[in-house]
Amino acid sequence: MIERWALVSGLKGDLDTYELIQKDLKKTPGNITLFVLGDMIGPEKNCNRLLHRLINPKSNDLQPWCIYGWWEEQILLESGYRGDQRAEALRINKGEEVVKSLTNAVDKSFLDWIAALQFGFVELDCGLIHGSSKDVGENLTLDTPPLTLLDRLTRLQVNRLFTARSKQQFHLELTEGIVNSEVEDLNGNRKKEQKVPQKAVIGIGAGKNYTLYDVGTDNTQFVQAGYKTEKRIKGFGRL
Amino acid sequence: MNQAVISCLHANLPAVEAVLKDIELQGITNITCLGDLVGYGPQPNEVIELIRDKEIPTCQGCWDEDVVDGLDACDCSYPSQLAEKRGHFAHQWTTDKLTTENKDYLANLPYSIRKDKCLFVHGSPNSQHEYLLPDMDAFAALERVENARAEILFCGHTHQPYIRELADGSIAVKIKNAVPKDTQEKEIQLPMRRIVNAGSVGEPRHGGTKATYVVYNDVTNKVKIREVEYDIELTCKAIIDAGLPPIFAWRLKNGFEFAEQAEDASHVCER
Repeated sequence: MIERWALVSGLKGDLDTYELIQKDLKKTPGNITLFVLGDMIGPEKNCNRLLHRLINPKSNDLQPWCIYGWWEEQILLESGYRGDQRAEALRINKGEEVVKSLTNAVDKSFLDWIAALQFGFVELDCGLIHGSSKDVGENLTLDTPPLTLLDRLTRLQVNRLFTARSKQQFHLELTEGIVNSEVEDLNGNRKKEQKVPQKAVIGIGAGKNYTLYDVGTDNTQFVQAGYKTEKRIKGFGRL
Repeated sequence: MNQAVISCLHANLPAVEAVLKDIELQGITNITCLGDLVGYGPQPNEVIELIRDKEIPTCQGCWDEDVVDGLDACDCSYPSQLAEKRGHFAHQWTTDKLTTENKDYLANLPYSIRKDKCLFVHGSPNSQHEYLLPDMDAFAALERVENARAEILFCGHTHQPYIRELADGSIAVKIKNAVPKDTQEKEIQLPMRRIVNAGSVGEPRHGGTKATYVVYNDVTNKVKIREVEYDIELTCKAIIDAGLPPIFAWRLKNGFEFAEQAEDASHVCER
């Protein structure tokens, strides 16, 4: 049986999209594990029905494995789950109204569940996170310097990093790399050549755009919920 | 022109005075300090006042930050619970001893100082608590310098002086699923960058007893590690007289500082 991961993010309270994805996945061959990489909530719509469904899946639903994303971090900040800090970055960038909309969109009874979510998962040699291993709010894209991508992979000690924050879908491989290091200290000099083993960063998309990952072959498929599976064609520097 | 970079003074006045004398003897007037003026040692106010009197530009170190903001370190700071207990005792002792004026001085130190292509920090550009050890992952080390938009990164915190050159680097990338393939592959050349660790004036951890600092010549671009002898007995006596843990004196006298050394060179501080 083919082992596949379905990687979803940015639902932002949209139960209809979630149901569409669940419907898609029922038709997808293989043994599917569903990961929801954050931003289950957002300020645009009431999120309670989606949160209730994620916590209490229907009997024929794939069990979702969820982590928290940027919007979850904002509501936790604003609700006092991060000590004295509040969602100031959100307040400054989007205004008080958006802060209010966010807190109104999520019933307080869900906050403990959100607060218990993990920053990310490490499965096999893969890291599954919302932003980056440095920050839940960091955007990793095709334009991110490879040195930065490599650092974010190194921090989690993984070979593949699945990220959602940028909302983009891409599969960027770091195929090879080299750097020469020479250290001089009180004991003398030493030289070392360090090489990069093959690694990859995969943008999984958001909302209806999600990603299927074939664990056995390392292939990704970028999918739009409700449409047939398709491989995306993307170039450097383009969305 | 030669400039001296000193770090991790750790309230060891005889060591600081000896190093400043050595710098003066070389005719160097341009000095930058990378912080940790206090902690472990018995003369925190005296060391701060000396640095202030000489108007030496200084970054805030992790001890300087913790004395002001309270302890807030990730578990990379101490290798054992015993070391942590000693560290916390020294933190409280230092906090009690410091004058309000000197605490204000520490509170207002900058995280980093930039001079042209050089960036001066205590730990790393990310945090005063992050260790840039000499043999850490070369790409991660290069990332710290490059993302800080510097050519030479001067740091301390490890108490081990070193000069590391990262050169002739490249990374090849490819977009999977992309067509046509030839437009979707590229190789990025990485710039040559250097990390210079100034070691420690007041609490060396290089296996010897001498204080260390570095001299950088911005014309020749050369860096030299300097070792300086100082009156260790004087500092050891002051540590005992102050009621600080006697092991702090024993370590200085025997040049065995590894009790407080970060063990995992690959650790990336998440603080």
